[in-house]
Amino acid sequence: MQEIEFNEDDVLTLASQGDRDAFGLLYERYVDRIFNYVYYRTGNLHDAEDLTARVFQRAMNHIKTYTDRGVPFSAWLYRIAHNLVANWHRDRSRRQEIPLDDLPVLQTKGDHPERNLVHSQEQDALLKLIRRLPGERQNLLILKFVEDMSNAEIGQIMGRSEGAVKSLYHRTLLALRDQLGDQNINLDGE
Amino acid sequence: MAENNTTSTNNDEILLDIEERLAGTLKPIRPSRDVVQRLRERIRFPARGEITVRLADWKRMFLVFGSVMSGLLVVITVARALFYLVGRRHM
Repeated sequence: MQEIEFNEDDVLTLASQGDRDAFGLLYERYVDRIFNYVYYRTGNLHDAEDLTARVFQRAMNHIKTYTDRGVPFSAWLYRIAHNLVANWHRDRSRRQEIPLDDLPVLQTKGDHPERNLVHSQEQDALLKLIRRLPGERQNLLILKFVEDMSNAEIGQIMGRSEGAVKSLYHRTLLALRDQLGDQNINLDGE
Repeated sequence: MAENNTTSTNNDEILLDIEERLAGTLKPIRPSRDVVQRLRERIRFPARGEITVRLADWKRMFLVFGSVMSGLLVVITVARALFYLVGRRHM
């Protein structure tokens, strides 16, 4: 999808005055990123779609309260997504449905986009390990690798300093290394 | 000393390898046009689930119920006052 060029501050002002078309522009710009984030945090398309819709509905309902205090609009959106995903996990654990680890890591249906991903046991194992990490570490990895964000940008979203993000990232890699070692998963695929 | 350096190098290599694997596993996904369109339609109107959630919000329901009852009480009081005044005028 082609990125629509516009001045985000102007569009945000219009959107906060109730202009739905302006909000539509923001939606077009961020829907892919939020969908990606939610998809990797939930592990299935249906919930990713539902939660993405809720993120934008909530953003639209509360955009009047959004004021730019050095936090970009994208960071605000990710925080909404983060809260909704956290609630989703909480509800899910209360209902004691199928444990997340038992779900197929990626479901492929017809022309769904994730079929582009290369399925391999190794990647599935890695994704399962990622999903067992604490929420903030999962966030960090998704924002870093899926969204290709810098530590500073991730820090704005997570409410941490750049150094704290760097340190958390290093600890996350170490944790993954240990877990891979515990499970005898050979990353070299040998 | 040399042993420590070797261990550190091995460790760095392992972490680099994990980073590479993460980059290969966590790839951006583009939602299909159908999904984007469906989401757009949902955002224009409140989703069914959202309405259900709102109805389930008992605090809000209590507030709405309280407001309606208070409004009714005001209407009844005004009506009674009017009847009383009109009745007195006809006496």
